[in-house]
Amino acid sequence: MSAEFRGGPEDSALSELLDLSMPANSEAIGTVVDTISENLAHLEVPEEKRLEVALSVQEALANAVVHGCGNDPSKKVRCQLKSDPKGRIVIIVTDPGPGFSPDSVSDPSRHENLYVDHGRGVYLIRQLMDEVHFEHGGNEIRMWKY
Amino acid sequence: MGSAVDALRQNMEEALGNGDTRFIINLAEVSMIDSSGIGLLVRFLASSKQRGGNIKLVQPSKFAVQTLRLVGVLNLFEIFDNDDAAVESFA
Repeated sequence: MSAEFRGGPEDSALSELLDLSMPANSEAIGTVVDTISENLAHLEVPEEKRLEVALSVQEALANAVVHGCGNDPSKKVRCQLKSDPKGRIVIIVTDPGPGFSPDSVSDPSRHENLYVDHGRGVYLIRQLMDEVHFEHGGNEIRMWKY
Repeated sequence: MGSAVDALRQNMEEALGNGDTRFIINLAEVSMIDSSGIGLLVRFLASSKQRGGNIKLVQPSKFAVQTLRLVGVLNLFEIFDNDDAAVESFA
């Protein structure tokens, strides 16, 4: 068993549905989000959940492109879609960057932050998904939807 | 994210530069708003209000409203069912 905690079942218990790689270019994000959404539709995931997952994936990919890769299109962002035996899904987004501390993210809903024009991505993901874990120093995010 | 947000940013910057301060943004064809779009909306809302104006939102989707609520900015905006009602609210 890995010494590092991972949310949900061990990787060996997960079925891989998609393993995508995209250049670190914001224009590539939409295609990956659409591909994930189409697969969830095939799995008969309800529309409301698909939207929540799609927005979370979009936010995670945007963070990976901007913060993980510095908008350098020669770098790659990996996006995996997996499911567990109970039918729960997890999306894993990995970038080659130095990572970050998720605890350093401020609460954008605080009064003093309402008019700030950035810093809502990770907060939104945590609100929209059922479980969120950061791994490998923060350059991998695992987002669960039950 | 991407071209839609870039286009809105450009249009809003041009309009503010031309002295416009009162805006209606129709979101009927926008299925979801990401954090970059929200950031843009609140930044230009602040700029408009500082100049005595405002931004009114028209026909945001249920999910867009939910997203704005989740990050705590829904109450910053007035929301309308159609463009005419939004226009009249400025009278």
